[in-house]
Amino acid sequence: IPYPVKLYVYDLSKGLARRLSPIMLGKQLEGIWHTSIVVHKDEFFFGSGGISSCPPGGTLLGPPDSVVDVGSTEVTEELFLEYLSSLGESLFRSEAYNLFEHNCNTFTNEVAQFLTGRKIPSYITDLPSEILSTPFGQALRPLLDSIQIQPPGGSPVGRPNGQS
Amino acid sequence: AFPRARILPTLPNRGGYGGPSASLGLTVCSRCSIKFKEEISRRFKAQQDQLVLIFAGKILKDGDTLNQHGIKDGLTVHLVIKTPQKAPDPAATTASSPSTPDPASAPSTTPASPAAPAQPSTSGSATSDAGSGSRRSSGGGPSPGAGEGPPSATASILSGFGGLLGLGSLGLGSANFMELQQQMQRQLMSNPEMLSQIMENPLVQDMMSNPDLMRHMIMANPQMQQLMERNPEISHMLNNPELMRQTMELARNPAMMQEMMRNQDRALSNLESIPGGYNALRRMYTDIQEPMFSAAREQFGNNPFSSLAGNSDSSSSQPLRTENREPLPNPWSPSPPTSQAPGSGGEGTGGSGTSQVHPTVSNPFGINAASLGSGVFNSPEMQALLQQISENPQLMQNVISAPYMRSMMQTLAQNPDFAAQVRGAGAGSVTPEAHPSLPAGWVRRCWRRPTGHLLCAARPLQVQTTPEVRFQQQLEQLNSMGFINREANLQALIATGGDVNAAIERLLGSQLS
Repeated sequence: IPYPVKLYVYDLSKGLARRLSPIMLGKQLEGIWHTSIVVHKDEFFFGSGGISSCPPGGTLLGPPDSVVDVGSTEVTEELFLEYLSSLGESLFRSEAYNLFEHNCNTFTNEVAQFLTGRKIPSYITDLPSEILSTPFGQALRPLLDSIQIQPPGGSPVGRPNGQS
Repeated sequence: AFPRARILPTLPNRGGYGGPSASLGLTVCSRCSIKFKEEISRRFKAQQDQLVLIFAGKILKDGDTLNQHGIKDGLTVHLVIKTPQKAPDPAATTASSPSTPDPASAPSTTPASPAAPAQPSTSGSATSDAGSGSRRSSGGGPSPGAGEGPPSATASILSGFGGLLGLGSLGLGSANFMELQQQMQRQLMSNPEMLSQIMENPLVQDMMSNPDLMRHMIMANPQMQQLMERNPEISHMLNNPELMRQTMELARNPAMMQEMMRNQDRALSNLESIPGGYNALRRMYTDIQEPMFSAAREQFGNNPFSSLAGNSDSSSSQPLRTENREPLPNPWSPSPPTSQAPGSGGEGTGGSGTSQVHPTVSNPFGINAASLGSGVFNSPEMQALLQQISENPQLMQNVISAPYMRSMMQTLAQNPDFAAQVRGAGAGSVTPEAHPSLPAGWVRRCWRRPTGHLLCAARPLQVQTTPEVRFQQQLEQLNSMGFINREANLQALIATGGDVNAAIERLLGSQLS
């Protein structure tokens, strides 16, 4: 019985990017995207605090701005949590977070491929390079590099045997 | 002969045991996934029954063939090595310490599990993912990614646009904003330099040198709008670009402001000595200033003019003087005001919906973010400003280097709703509703805010007529008062935009000088 896998997409700017990006960046961006994977009735995302989970739509961001159907998976919940724990201790530790190179969408992309073999839509993963290719993005890069995003409301993902 | 398929699951280096990345090139029989598992079991040194192979979301069972799943050369097969259910390895526990903020446990240099090299499979808890590559073993250690790690610097990407907002911070009622404001207030209190820094910030100066923009911003502040409704003189004053420009100059230059105040004091004391001058002053006070004071007081809590009233007899509301900040509340109260108070400051700490009215240091420009979304960003001046910013990276550097930027952005990040509020306070439709009557020639515009509040601003309607016609009534008034020099009267009226009392001042002032 395959389990459905969904991608929750949030616009961190709540519409401001769509309005201001033509002026500030010179190109139209529809949003500043934060994504998470929803599977087995839980939402999983990566932030500066590491991999976290919460009930779907349970972060401070509220309900997602859009939901993308990624596909379905046979991976069981137990197996998935094991996988996430291992990721969280290797590739997606909290210190590994970087706004441009290794962010929530990197994580979601990885997990989506693990679960279903498919990637997340490219407009999400292309966002950092879109921004960095503008003079504005370049000018702000030193500042932006230090930015860390961690939507409040999740709890850390740990190992299945006994830990959170 | 069997058809052969070559599988190359890639294992990028994640610091797992074994060191450099192992690209597992397996030439396996295309039919036999069981053999695949044997191969993997050997390479990864894990038991076969621990191995779970996943491809395209499907779990490869032992009996399945690789062909059946469509696994071809170059594709990625994911591998998970299951944790056997037994007690966590104590060595492996310390292994996961790098990912927790626990200072007591020995940190490990490799990001993955240090216990791994010693005991790959016997540690019993190795999980790896061939596709995404991490291979290491760890026990049932504490969960990775400390949730309680201090989220110190969190911010959103909208830093550039945030710089504009940072100009005075934003009086929204959300909890995070209160913290921000208090923070800013503390900063400004403890560091009086900060205000001059803010003023010196080229971005601020640019903004302030654009009178249209400033007026727009001021008018967008709901408290200002209410104030203006009660006292049309204020809005008239704002509409006089000459005046605004002078005010901006003044705000930028505190020394000049003091100078102006002194001049005004002198002029006023001179005025007193003319016959009838005292009465004029008195009238001026009671007719204009008092209602304005009380209106402002209502709006802003304490008596904002207490110090001003102490300084000068009638901190006058004459628009022709550039003491514009007088009708506007003192942004620095409850603390004793300084002459650094920016001339154009209204203030509002509450959003449009809240009734918080304490003027705070942190909002010297009275920029209400809720109104920013609609009023400011829609204005062509703002567009031009943004354009300017994007073309001039140096400007952006200046914005970033402003001392309050970090805390502002922190708050921005913590509460994404703030961004929504900024955007969302759009102006409603213009609804003509019943209102107290306006003087002839004034129009009123009303907005209904999302919170349900109705905000109105009144302004004089600009009619395309000659000044003589426009000010006909005022000219007659002046005439009847004894000002017989029609030319001078007209000039004065033009300068003051039709304000009779101000014109009188002007005329008297020119006579005295």
